Amino acid sequence: MTQPSAPILKVENLAVAYKVRGGEIEAVQNVSFDIHRGDSHGIVGESGCGKSTVAWAIVNFLGANGYVKRGSIKFLGQDLVGKSPEELRRLRGDQIAMVFQDPMQALNPSMRLGDQMKEVLTVHRGISESEAEDRCVDMLQRVYMPDAANVMRRYPHQISGGQQQRVVIAMALLNNPALLIMDEPTTALDVTVEAAVLDLIAELRREFDTAIMYITHNLGVVARVCSQVGVMYAGEMVERASVERIFAQPQHPYTQGLIRCIPTLGEDKASSALYPIPGRVPPPNARPAGCIYAPRCDYAQQRCRDERPALRLLADGVQVRCHFTEEIDPGQWTPPEEVEEMVETVNGQADAATPASTNNGKPILELHDLRKYYPVTGGSLRDVLGLGEKRFVKAVEGATFSVPKGSTLGIVGESGCGKSTLIKTIIGLEDSTSGQARFMSFDITEGLSERNMALIKELQMVFQNPDSTMNPSYTVGQQIGRPMVRFGTVPRSQVRDEVIKLLQSMRLGANYYDRLPRQLSGGEKQRVGIARALASRPDLILCDEPVSALDVSVQAAILNLLLDVQREQNTTMLFIAHDLSVVRFFSDNVAVMYLGQIMEIGPADAIYRPPYHPYTEALLSAVPIPDPTVKQKQIRLEGSVPSAVDPPSGCRFHTRCPRRKLLPDDGAICTRETPPWQEAGDGHRIFCHLPLETLASFDPVVESLATH
Amino acid sequence: MLVKDCMTRHPVVVSPDLSAAEAERIMVENHIRHLPVVEDGKRLIGLITRERLRLKAEDIGSYDVWEITRNLARLKVRSVMIPLKQVWTVTPNRSIERTASLMTEHKIGCLPVVEEGNVVVGIVTQVDLLESFQIMLGLPAKGVRVTVRMSDQPGEFAKLMRVMAEQKWGVMGIGSFPDRRHEGFYFAVLKLVGADEAAVATVLNDIPGQEVVDIRTVV
Amino acid sequence: MTVAPQTIDVPPSPSRWSRAWDNLSLVFASRIATVGLVIVLLWLVLGIVSLFWTPYPPNSSLFTQNLMPNSTNWLGTDHLGRDILSRLMAGTQVVLLKTRLPGENGWVIPGGVAVWGVIGALFFGSVLGLNAGYRGGWWDQIIMQVLDALVAFPAIVLYLVIITAFEQGDLVVVFAITVTGTPGIARLVRSLALDIKTRDYIRAAETRGESPSYIMFREILPNARGPVLVDATLRVGYAIFAIGTLGFLGIGLPPPDPDWGSMVNDARRFIFVFSWGVIPPSVAIASLVIGLNLFADGMREELGRYQK
Repeated sequence: MTQPSAPILKVENLAVAYKVRGGEIEAVQNVSFDIHRGDSHGIVGESGCGKSTVAWAIVNFLGANGYVKRGSIKFLGQDLVGKSPEELRRLRGDQIAMVFQDPMQALNPSMRLGDQMKEVLTVHRGISESEAEDRCVDMLQRVYMPDAANVMRRYPHQISGGQQQRVVIAMALLNNPALLIMDEPTTALDVTVEAAVLDLIAELRREFDTAIMYITHNLGVVARVCSQVGVMYAGEMVERASVERIFAQPQHPYTQGLIRCIPTLGEDKASSALYPIPGRVPPPNARPAGCIYAPRCDYAQQRCRDERPALRLLADGVQVRCHFTEEIDPGQWTPPEEVEEMVETVNGQADAATPASTNNGKPILELHDLRKYYPVTGGSLRDVLGLGEKRFVKAVEGATFSVPKGSTLGIVGESGCGKSTLIKTIIGLEDSTSGQARFMSFDITEGLSERNMALIKELQMVFQNPDSTMNPSYTVGQQIGRPMVRFGTVPRSQVRDEVIKLLQSMRLGANYYDRLPRQLSGGEKQRVGIARALASRPDLILCDEPVSALDVSVQAAILNLLLDVQREQNTTMLFIAHDLSVVRFFSDNVAVMYLGQIMEIGPADAIYRPPYHPYTEALLSAVPIPDPTVKQKQIRLEGSVPSAVDPPSGCRFHTRCPRRKLLPDDGAICTRETPPWQEAGDGHRIFCHLPLETLASFDPVVESLATH
Repeated sequence: MLVKDCMTRHPVVVSPDLSAAEAERIMVENHIRHLPVVEDGKRLIGLITRERLRLKAEDIGSYDVWEITRNLARLKVRSVMIPLKQVWTVTPNRSIERTASLMTEHKIGCLPVVEEGNVVVGIVTQVDLLESFQIMLGLPAKGVRVTVRMSDQPGEFAKLMRVMAEQKWGVMGIGSFPDRRHEGFYFAVLKLVGADEAAVATVLNDIPGQEVVDIRTVV
Repeated sequence: MTVAPQTIDVPPSPSRWSRAWDNLSLVFASRIATVGLVIVLLWLVLGIVSLFWTPYPPNSSLFTQNLMPNSTNWLGTDHLGRDILSRLMAGTQVVLLKTRLPGENGWVIPGGVAVWGVIGALFFGSVLGLNAGYRGGWWDQIIMQVLDALVAFPAIVLYLVIITAFEQGDLVVVFAITVTGTPGIARLVRSLALDIKTRDYIRAAETRGESPSYIMFREILPNARGPVLVDATLRVGYAIFAIGTLGFLGIGLPPPDPDWGSMVNDARRFIFVFSWGVIPPSVAIASLVIGLNLFADGMREELGRYQK
């Protein structure tokens, strides 16, 4: 309605440098963008691109050795660079608020939440205690905090992570800041909580007219909350455009690459492929002289290597840092031969063997009513003396399924739902409490110490955290060779050759043999981790979130690698992930877990289509989809996951189930009786009281999924 | 419509210790004419306007050139601002009519919007108010703008509305003002969408006791 | 299928030598560590030289008694007219360079009493700490209770008990240092093991069915190396201090070889007649301990930075 007013924040040609021993490193160069009132500007990029550094530069949190080397940061018309620390402090307090990934960074653990929040108002504003109390409660209600007045009297550790993040957001908004900087505010949260927080951010932006700078690596999140997006690569902003433009017509080759390497919800390995970006982000002290992306760019020409492109404004308001953007047509892009080859073979296979026949393969792993309980020791005297009632954390309850040879079972669920415990029990890191579990013909209910070598050899695991998956003291070769020596799969004299062969199949050269883990990037470490798991030629590989700690471009490469391994060796896999798009892409069958209980299990495409369990429905509607045009139903779960020590009676999901009221008596049966397993055909089972017809009548959560 | 619906949130503010020259620069760069002056916690302590910063002949008459520059360089916002006592303010929940009358009555161009404790949450200028009146009259939407004269008897306006409902025309904006020439009559100005000019004229003229005095299509 | 050849900025794989050089350059990166290392090396060199040559025989009274430093005796002479510089140099040997075995034939093993004492403590401390940390449960309870009980005794009382129980001798001092050093190192190793055992590579080893001892000594211990070595360096300093104390009490290393602690003790008796005598051996003890401390501190700082 008004004329375009001056932006709240205008960053021009910002360069931030850190002084290090023997010189300085320019972590950020030539970054320019502006944010208007009520705008939400996303900054995306892989880790180490300088996203957070930009935010820190704005609030002058660069630390003792960082400083703004060039450029200006104008906030409400005033240049922040060169302001006295006192003035900056006042601005930060009154006009700029920050929300970090870890809410505990912003909350004082030894103060009641109410006191912390009130302090914001009483200290500088001279607002009376009781008035401040009212305002804080009001603000907590606005961020949909259940039981707001009560929360005011609690300490930070007494509420869940998602609620902590809400308190931090409420606290940030109390001051009615002109600019809100959010640095990965939802990365540590579960997808259902994340969805609620993102809804909240979008709503508050409209209500308070606050300019939001939103830093994230997740393109799906950007699509959901941002209006403008800036893509950063190796300390530079390479493209800036509206969110619709970025996803519909990415201009910079890097943006195009990023979008190609994420699976969209609904894609599977048979029909599509992921195209990772080759190479890796150059470290700040070894950036190329020309275009910073040239070494990884498919279109790089001599000019790109010699001359650094400037951020150009295209006719339609898109800013891009590329010499040849007009000549690049992403439609003409051809994937590298290797990937192409793979896609063809996979598709070829899919033609030859229909999904049904793969599912009918001989089961390699069979679980029947497997349970894992951990005893909890209370603090009371009775408990210490062993007189108290024995209580258990019911981490896994009644897991029943079988996995056919050569197929992949994906397991999804929020954190704390028992998916990790389940695979730890299968591999033997934990022994099971009751139930049956058979791997081929072996019984695997016992822990590792009871198993014989032949069995141990067949079950191997790929871990989540690339930084702790390798022992820092040994070389790559030694670590991959160890299982070969240990299980005697390869004669000692040939271990080295065999390791090198394995390294090469992981797309790592023989020269990696003598490297130490600290010389490898995250993706390379994860490759070595996979190689180590493969070294004993196991029949079953358990992958515990193997890609969730990696950047998207690397994630695609690792997923492709795992697919390749499976195709060549017909390995069976259990694949845990919290990202539903990745699980859908990667798995043949999917199990959805909630609070230790499998809620739904079946072929991947059946899980993602009605009929589905109400919990699956809620999960699907929470997944951030990297496409701003997709319409997604908005189903949000109330409250947080109940404790596994005392799980709800009847159906474990009944306390949060949004579909319960479809049953008579508002679903009284759900609180009393354990639901039945309902067969929906083709091995698809749903653990719910609602009749199948009702479940099937739900509209699909995501429209595009129905057509798949 | 209330002040909170039309004010500019997060206005550019300055601290009292800023130099007057810098404040002037901020106003020029951001194309604004008023700057609320705030201390810690965004509490309002004054207002500066471009007029306030302008040099007045009687002030500088006795200075020589060097003194003028020196004095200007030393001049702080605090010493040129209109102090809080003399600044009119509004709260976010005041109606825009009252706000407008406050402005016309005192001939002022801008009102800082404050909450309890004089915390600045926004600013309303004459331009903002004019814009919101335009919106209330439905200016941004395309359609037929029609002025109807009717008597001020109860039920007259309802007749008009009933016709609107029958014809399924959407009313985007509405306003009224008394007819100065005919006592007891007034004009209603309506902005209609989804209607055709000729049809509107015939249908409305058919209403007994009402007369279309002006009709135009706005595109 | 996936990735283009990984040829971008791949550093050549390091040889063993270059790795050793990397570690050494770590020392020189810290000024504190460099200063400490120089002091320690100075004493080491003096000690090694003294094995072959001292200005005068350290144990013979060749000069006037209680001389202040002069051109013949650079650090003066003691109450028996022996050259203090020669005795100081020779005193380095028992601390850092040789340990005399009991018996008449005078056999020695290389490595000083302080060094062997700390190596002993390292060995026992690591074994106990690893078992307590990795196995947990009862192992942890019992090991740590026993070690805590040991810590409850003042160190000096332990020394006295051990030395009176056996006899004066280098090996007894080594044993005493080992006993007093073990609990500290065990605690450090235990806390490191508790941390390291949560890492995924330990899970990987377990899923390979590796034995607990393999996991403790091959997987955990190498990664606890840095902090443990720093701690051990500090402990060599403490041990030298302890030897000094024992020497001062007259129950330290047996004569005839000079020992700094007993030098201080001897000079103390004449302190009102000739106060200079206590200074050189005291400074020797202090400087070596400070040198080791500086070195350890600098290393710790650098290792900390390095791990991030």
